[in-house]
This record gives sequence, C-alpha cells and structure tokens, in this order.
Amino acid sequence: MAGYFEPVIQIFKPSWRDGYYRANVQSVTYIANKTVSIELKVESRWPTHKAGQHIELTIEINGRLVTRVFTIASSPNQAMHEGVIRLVIKQHDVGAFTPFLSRLTVNSWVNISKPKGTFLLPQSNAVTFFAAGSGITPFIAMLHQALHDEIPPIHLVYYAKPNEHLLVAELASLRNRLANFTFTLLSRSTDGDVAAKLPEFIGSQWLVCGPQDFYKTIKNYADTHQQSIESEHFSLVDLHTQGDEKAHFQVDHGGIKFTADNQQPLLAQFQANKINVPYGCGMGICHQCQCVKKKGVVRDIRNGKLSDYGEELIQLCVSQVVSDVEFKA
Amino acid sequence: MNTVAEPNYDLLAEQLNEIQSTTMAKVGEQDANYIRRVIVTQRILEWSGRILLVLGFVSPWLWLVGVLALATAKILDNMEIGHNVMHGQYDWMNDKHINSKAYEWDIACDGKSWNRVHNFEHHTYTNIIGKDRDFGYGLLRLSNDFRWRVKNLWQFITYLNLSVLFQWGVSYHELAAERVFFGKKKDNRDYKVPHSELKTRFFSKGARQLIKDYLIFPLLAGPFFLWVLVGNLIANLLRNLWTSTIIFCGHFTGDVKTFSEKECENETKGQWYYRQALGSSNIKGGKWFHILTGHLSFQIEHHLFPDMPAKRYREIAPKVQKVFREHGIQYNTGSFFKQYGSVVKRILRYSLP
Repeated sequence: MAGYFEPVIQIFKPSWRDGYYRANVQSVTYIANKTVSIELKVESRWPTHKAGQHIELTIEINGRLVTRVFTIASSPNQAMHEGVIRLVIKQHDVGAFTPFLSRLTVNSWVNISKPKGTFLLPQSNAVTFFAAGSGITPFIAMLHQALHDEIPPIHLVYYAKPNEHLLVAELASLRNRLANFTFTLLSRSTDGDVAAKLPEFIGSQWLVCGPQDFYKTIKNYADTHQQSIESEHFSLVDLHTQGDEKAHFQVDHGGIKFTADNQQPLLAQFQANKINVPYGCGMGICHQCQCVKKKGVVRDIRNGKLSDYGEELIQLCVSQVVSDVEFKA
Repeated sequence: MNTVAEPNYDLLAEQLNEIQSTTMAKVGEQDANYIRRVIVTQRILEWSGRILLVLGFVSPWLWLVGVLALATAKILDNMEIGHNVMHGQYDWMNDKHINSKAYEWDIACDGKSWNRVHNFEHHTYTNIIGKDRDFGYGLLRLSNDFRWRVKNLWQFITYLNLSVLFQWGVSYHELAAERVFFGKKKDNRDYKVPHSELKTRFFSKGARQLIKDYLIFPLLAGPFFLWVLVGNLIANLLRNLWTSTIIFCGHFTGDVKTFSEKECENETKGQWYYRQALGSSNIKGGKWFHILTGHLSFQIEHHLFPDMPAKRYREIAPKVQKVFREHGIQYNTGSFFKQYGSVVKRILRYSLP
C-alpha cells in the first residue's frame, strides 16, 4: 500500500521511499583530491549506527536509483545528538555512482538503509588498526566514538600514497584528546610493505580495513602466527569484458551455485543446470525471464552494454556474465 | 504473406534498431518524472472519484463527475501505467514499485497471467495463427485462417459482450487457452504454470476486485451503498468499453495481416519487425487521447519496441513512418472512427463464410 501512494507522498516529502530511510544533504566538501566528504541529516526514526558499521546510499541518477555501500565516518554519538552522519568517499574517474556525488546539492535528499555490519571495536586489552586509503573511515568513526566511551589502547597503522592520507588533522586532534591512541602514517614507496611492520603488533587485536591485497597480506601473516584478526575489505568486482576468450564465473541463485561461462546467455545456462526459471521469447522482448540480480555485472548481448554492480532487474535470455553474479531466487 | 515486394529485412532491422538505440539513450529523468506524474494524477482522480460518488446525495451531478473520474482513473491505471509498467518500460528506474515484477493493476486480471499471455505470446508471436492466442481471443473469427462455424454468425454480439465484460475476458484468457476448466487438454503443450496456480490466482484476483468495488467501498459509504455500487459498476463498464475498443483498433482493423507458423520459422530480426508492422494499426489523436490509450494509439511503435517508455512513441512515430515508406511497408493509421469502422467491418465480414 505504501508503494501505491509513494509518488503522491513524494510531492510533499521528496525522495520518500517505502523501505528506505531519507536523509538530507547538509554539505558536500572536497577534503582531498577526488575525495568528497558528505554530511547527511538522517530522519529521527533511523536506527543509530554502531561505530564501524556501513549503510547503503541510494541516489537518483538521471531517473535511475543507484545504490552503493559506504562506511559511516562519524560517531554514533553525533548521530544521536545532532542527527548527522558523515560519509567520506573516494571518487573514481569512471563509474556509475561516485562521479555523480559532486552533483549532490545542499538540501537535496538521498536514501539510506539502516546501518549494517559487524566490524566493531572489540573489548580487548590492546587494539591495532590497519587502514589503507579510504579504509580509514570505520576507524575514524570508532575513534570519534572513543571520546565518549572507555577504550583499550589503540594504535593505528595507516597506509596511503605519500601525502594522500585522509583526515590527518582530525587524527592528530583525536590523538591529542585520547590518552591511549597513537598512529603512524606510512606509504609503501617510502616505508615498505605492511608485512614488515606486522611483527611488532603481535598480541594485540587486529582490525583491518582496506583493499583486497592489503587485507590478504595481513591475513596471511595473521594466519601463520595465530593472530586474531577482524576485517572489512573492499574488492573491486573482477570484470572480464575485454576480448572474446572464454571465462568462467560463479553464479548464485538463491543459494544454488553453479559455474557459468561468458559465451552463452544466462538463461541457457540456468536451464542446463536444471534451475527452473520462467522464460519466454528468448530475445529480450517479453521480460518473462527477468530476475533480480543482487550483485555482479552482466552484459546485454543485444548492445554490449554492461549492467550496474548493484541490485537491479535483468533479463536472463539476453545477458551474459562478466563477473561473479548473485541472484535472488 | 500477400504483399507486393518484400523489404530489405537487414536494412529494415538496422534502421529500426538505430531508432531504438538513439531513443533509449535519451530515456532518463524526464521519463521517470513523467510516469510518477501520471501515477499521481491517477491516484488523485481515483480518490476524488470515490469521494464524489458518495457525495451523490448532495447533487447527482457530483456523482456523475465521480463516475467519470473513477473511470478515467481506472483507464489510466490499466493503460498508461499498468500496461506499460508491466511491459518493463520503466524497469531501468530500479524503483521497488514501478517495475514489471511488482506492479499490480486495478483490473480483474492477475498481472502475472496477463504478463505471460500478452508480453510473451502476443508480443513474440504477434498474429501467428496458432501461436498468438490474442488473435480473435478464441472467440471471434477475424480471418480466413479459421474455419467458419455457425456461432460466427452472431459473433458481433459476442464481440459486444466481450467489450462489456472485457476485464473478465482478459482475466479468463489464459485459463481458457490452457483449457483449465473446459475442453480437451492438448498433449503437446508445455504447461509452464500448474493449472492449480492459474485457478487460485484467477479466483483470488477476481474476488479481490469484486469485493473491493462491490462490497467494501459501497459498505464504507453506509446509506449510500447503492450509489457507490452502481458508480463502480459504471466506471468499470466505461473502462471495459474503452480498453476493448482501443485494443481492437490496434489489432483488428481491416488491413492487419496474419501469418502462419511456417513462414515465421527461423525469422530474422528484420522479418520479426516486419511482422509486427503488418500486425498492428495506429489511431490518430491529441495528446490526452494518446495518454488515455496508454499510447496504444501507437500500436505499431509499441509492437516494434514493447519495452520503450510509451510516451516516446509519439516522438519516434514520424521516424518509423519514414522508414516504412522507404521500404514500401504500409503504415496503418487513421482517425478513431475510420479505424473503429474498419474493425466493425472485419468482425461482420468474417461472421460469414
């Protein structure tokens, strides 16, 4: 029923959507090259996050709703008292989402999900944060929250390209205000790989946030040294869009998994794997074989266009996989 | 196919694909805002209509306006919103409600059933006798492809009955074709949906509509029960007549061609386009006329590009017409009265052997 009235409600409450929360853009600031900080005023019914959690941010780009996941880079305390959360987002040159963030205007509306995720500050004697690039965001949230809570001693090891560390002034101010927080800023080109830094932190609880490679290095070391580790790592979807050579990807249809290649339409491969889905014309006209893709990228056979990464409807009969893909059954 | 010269199918496909891709590249915010605006208009018309029906006790004129508002709302819901959204024309918006999987319309027919018969069978196998069960709906003889039977003598009356009860005809269509209740089951059919599910959905959606229009809303009106009941009945009737008429004008005018399964084997995209072109006809009219037909007054464009946002048919029609002219393909269009007259003539003509 909410869906029935949604376009009417939107006249009075822009971007009001059934199943989403609404947030008002308070500011959009560049804090570094291609890094934008966005402050959002959340509605009062939004369940306040725990430091380290992320949200799905949905914006309307040329009539189309596009969603990406971002970690909140501000404290629950601020969200509770001021109703404001902050996202710090690295923009990509090409992409279907981040380049459009600079177009967000103050006072415009976006949609967010409830906070999600289990990457939280543990109860422990000592904690080491390992951050790389924009992976600093959950730690910033935890440190801001630490101003209001009891915390264990924390040391942050923060890797980025030389002079591209984010929020350095904020980290310095947090160090001054928090008795048991210290940090070091490192770059691989001048300080060497993170692997060499790890031995001195053995024994503390490790939290890692950064790209896949960074995480893997630390994870491998931790595994061989019985070191406990929590992580939040982002991997770019492994796309296979160049050339015609055959490649295989994992397809997950509501828990049923199979391997699909990038040559045949997905519908044929669903059928070959005895997964029953409705189908019809086989030429992309009738929308019978439409499925909800939760994540992954597919290519439209008719025009070669790539889909978005996130959740959307796709037609199996005219789609080929170009990455691992997950479908709602 | 009884046409003079065959067009260059590959060129035809190339030209029509080009129209499609340049138009789809423009689809965006404007189209999203448009469909939301239509939905808002529909909601306002529907609810003001329902309220005015009750205010009939103040003045019967208010009741009359209410009936017309409600009928218009139902027409908008079924045509410009329901039909088009369920075709997937707005799926690209990624909206949780405005998409072909989620939208359910204010009509007796279960959306999913319609989607199968209409989107798949009718739009894929348009006018292929034996495959497109929409050609004559299994009730009317509209070409010599069908053997004449005595019942065809009074098929004009059958047609009028179908128009009056159109929403139930549409609703029952898949069940009739699948021989769910009556008739001999065909062995070679690939039953995609179990009959039990077809029955459940037919009865549950039908019952929901009946209870809503003829019980709940009348009861809510208390002493004005009958005003509302009759108002809803007339609104549904007007909607039935309108949708049926528009759809007949789009498909069964005198010049619309039929095809055999054999000619369509291994059809190329160009040949598919050609069949769509000869299987439909347009109606000329103004902006509001087009909106109220759900832009099915551009039936030709709709059949070429069923999942293009329908408002765009208006802008591509001249381009399509130009391509057709180049290939010597008839672009079947005319005024409402010309097209409707042609439909009536066709129904009457094939009443006789």
